[in-house]
Amino acid sequence: MLLQVKNLRCGYGTLEVVRGASLHVCTGEIVGLLGANGAGKTSLLRAIVGLLPPWEGDILVAGQPTRGQPPWRSLSNAMVLVPEGRQVFADMTVGENLLLGGYHNPDRRLTMGTVLELFPLLRERLGQLAGTLSGGEQQMLALGRALMGRPRLLLLDEPSMGLAPLLVKEVFAEIRRLKDMGVTVLLVEQNATATLQIADRAYVMETGEILLEGEPACLRHNPEVKRAYLGKGYKEVWA
Amino acid sequence: MSVFDRRYELMPRRELEQLQLERLQALLARLRRNVRRCREQIGDATVESLDRLQSLPLTTPEDVARSFPYGMFALPLREVIRLHSAVGPEGKPLIIGYTRNDLAHWGRLVARQLVASGMTANDVIQVCLGGGVYPGASGYMLGAELIEASVIAEDPFHVDYQLAMLQNYRPTILITTPTNALELIRLMELRRIDPQSLHLRTVLLSRPVPAETRAQLRAGLFAAVQCNFGLDEILDPGLCVECESGRFHVNEDHFLVEVVQGELVVTTLNREATPMLRYQTRVAGQISPDKCPCGRTGVVIVPGERLDRRWLVNETPLYQNQIADVLDQTELAGHLLDIAVRERHVVISVELTEALLSDTIWRLENLQRKTEAEFLARLGVPAKVRFVASPRARQEHS
Repeated sequence: MLLQVKNLRCGYGTLEVVRGASLHVCTGEIVGLLGANGAGKTSLLRAIVGLLPPWEGDILVAGQPTRGQPPWRSLSNAMVLVPEGRQVFADMTVGENLLLGGYHNPDRRLTMGTVLELFPLLRERLGQLAGTLSGGEQQMLALGRALMGRPRLLLLDEPSMGLAPLLVKEVFAEIRRLKDMGVTVLLVEQNATATLQIADRAYVMETGEILLEGEPACLRHNPEVKRAYLGKGYKEVWA
Repeated sequence: MSVFDRRYELMPRRELEQLQLERLQALLARLRRNVRRCREQIGDATVESLDRLQSLPLTTPEDVARSFPYGMFALPLREVIRLHSAVGPEGKPLIIGYTRNDLAHWGRLVARQLVASGMTANDVIQVCLGGGVYPGASGYMLGAELIEASVIAEDPFHVDYQLAMLQNYRPTILITTPTNALELIRLMELRRIDPQSLHLRTVLLSRPVPAETRAQLRAGLFAAVQCNFGLDEILDPGLCVECESGRFHVNEDHFLVEVVQGELVVTTLNREATPMLRYQTRVAGQISPDKCPCGRTGVVIVPGERLDRRWLVNETPLYQNQIADVLDQTELAGHLLDIAVRERHVVISVELTEALLSDTIWRLENLQRKTEAEFLARLGVPAKVRFVASPRARQEHS
């Protein structure tokens, strides 16, 4: 197991947002974490990387406890978070954004070559300011910037947010390709249909609790998932 | 070693225990939301580790019977696509629902047992479990179809017909009850049929049998013999896998097993329609600490006797009160009776009093026939009625 979370509780002030969640991610897996707005997905992710101090519970990366460590330590654990809404440095060029992602990586120039091969679109825009990219391009840049840190575990927070359905497909195809490169992914999403198409396993979270765990084929047929996340007539839209 | 689901059957213990904890916590969250009885009992209780399982309330068969028919369902009935019944305490029916996912899981779990028994896509399978009497037949079908073996859909109700099918269809694997397998051997001996003339490679029995019966079946059918252990209320077949070394490995990614005061207690981790939290199975059992050479990491259980007064007559579960209920519906009600429960039938000895005595033997024969028919129709159990001068005025069971 690359990531193991046990009974994690965290929140803001006195408000408990994650109420005893447990999950794990094995090396080489894409694991989805599904849930509606306010389910506690992002808070859980922030607690894993140390941005939100956990109240209780254990977080182990490759068997080593990391709970309570500062966020920058997560980089040395080869764990990189791609935050919600991309959050690229708008006033910096694509190239500068990428190099910043490889701040801890002594071979960043070499890694950049690999990243640009993976995202040829970024090569064309290397000198362009990141803020002038489209939503889909910014998402590619955010992914590329994360890969510059040579992560073993990539934590993606809602990569489909604000993207057109066609772009969502492209981004998810790229995430699938990351798995083939040996990167392990924990993918937090509201888009259940797209996530269940690429994930090896997934968790469903509601009001701070994990309600379901299983393989995509099972979750796709689960009555509660169908009702809450896939919606009526989802087959016509995504088939 | 043949393993169907390598990921889960051979999963390292540390990972398996993490998965179990996650699924147990998710189960508690679902039960709290969807089953009123559980919400009242569990409250806000959580489990931080599997060691804290004992802090959760037990579910008894009586609880499930009281919730009849759908009180234990965790989903609306329209999400349930199959209903099976199980025999509950004192013969009361329990309804077990299956969603599409439950059936998919069932098929995979049974496939694990079938592959461990050596089944491949090249095999022809005969399932002879008495059709509707034993709901597990459909589980075997699901598993065998998943492996893409050729399943003979017809369940031969008569052993004569079954033997003809074994000779004609040439099945390589027979899934049946111990009673039927012994009956088959008896018939083959009677007809001087060499078991080697059949094509059987493996016989999979619906329940565990003692070592001597296993040896007798192995010699009599000239095939390897493997057993299944399951529980109708939980899953039968599919609860565990009997490996090549004859050990019952629990499918621990789906079930959490404990032994509480000598009784097996099972929690279903993945069931959607009728999840069970710490269900008291009324079956004695032990958890074996031995490591198994087969490589499966699921805990090994040694199932024992039933702890309630439930008999198995001709492979049909039977409680004492069920016999009394049927007798009350016949003309024998109120007469002095002696009941003996045998392996294949129930013997009812009736005192021949003046009230029963008639100048024609026809009346007694009619009474005998009607009572026996009533037993078979109501309980699915053969009965033999005998008229005796003075029965021992007690009920005897063997």
